[in-house]
Amino acid sequence: MTTTSLPADDGAITHGSEARRAFKIAWPVLIALIPMALVLGAQAAQKGLSTIEVTLMTALNYAGGSEFAAVGLWTSPLPVALIVGMTFLVNSRHLLMGAALAPYIHHLPKRIVYPVLFFMVDESWALGLADARRRAAAGIEPSFSLTFYATLGALFWFTWFVFATVGALIGPTVGDLGRWGFELVFPAIFLVLVRGMWTTARAARPWLVSLLTAAIIHLTIPGAWYVPAGAVAGLAAAWFWADAQ
Amino acid sequence: MTINNLHLVTILLMALATYATRVIGYAALSNRTLSARTRAVLDAAPACVLLAVIAPAFVAPKPADVIALAITVVAATRLPMIATVTVAMVASASLRWLTG
Repeated sequence: MTTTSLPADDGAITHGSEARRAFKIAWPVLIALIPMALVLGAQAAQKGLSTIEVTLMTALNYAGGSEFAAVGLWTSPLPVALIVGMTFLVNSRHLLMGAALAPYIHHLPKRIVYPVLFFMVDESWALGLADARRRAAAGIEPSFSLTFYATLGALFWFTWFVFATVGALIGPTVGDLGRWGFELVFPAIFLVLVRGMWTTARAARPWLVSLLTAAIIHLTIPGAWYVPAGAVAGLAAAWFWADAQ
Repeated sequence: MTINNLHLVTILLMALATYATRVIGYAALSNRTLSARTRAVLDAAPACVLLAVIAPAFVAPKPADVIALAITVVAATRLPMIATVTVAMVASASLRWLTG
């Protein structure tokens, strides 16, 4: 990603410089998070969640996709098991994400790793992992920058639950943000993140398998199955094609 | 400032389920030596996950949205993040406006 800069060779890497680097890379993502959080809060309020409940959900659960799914399923009587099951399913991609992060963070003490993992969302994880890989390639030890990652995680977390709360307070005045093109913001961010992971067309073949499988499952099976189905198909392809390399 | 007990329990169970997804993958793989094949799979994981999450946008029901996404894909291959986001928003809003 072109907006990422590694610390200059002559400059010392400090907590401050790492936090500043995180701020610099975070703001396009924050611009994308704010309207999503407002919409989520407004929808949740319409479904009968109180403002404090919206704050609790977005601060404690902190995984946008599952929160939209939960609010969509929020009816009376409340289907608690269905909501919790869908939450696990939508977030099952975190299993893979945590596994991919493991080699970079296993040297950290457990009392740091387990709190840090709470802040693992798509954006902080993708940016943190890409950063760790670049630093590893540049010979910087340790390759995983805890301060960089934790700053991103804290910024996204704070923005998410604060603006979801604001959305719940201002409610219906949020209106239809789709009209203003906001719904393509996340695909745009994810595509730029994916571009940053590009090495060779051969290495990217499993990505296409994941995308196509997820699209087909989305069109044929209701619910959030398309996320784990696509990811697992892509990984199976990577496993299969690893032979040829 | 009202909290319904059933709502609270649901929210806490959601939070627990989500935190479980965040730690299980890490806990299963930490302190293990990974084979080349496992490494290849984990290297592919980030992009596979991100693309699976946004796959519905590629098969959106409105042609205007799919065209806007195609423009976004092209932008994402050559522009920095904030420029790509701007292109995506302008393309999406203007194509929707043009097609009603």
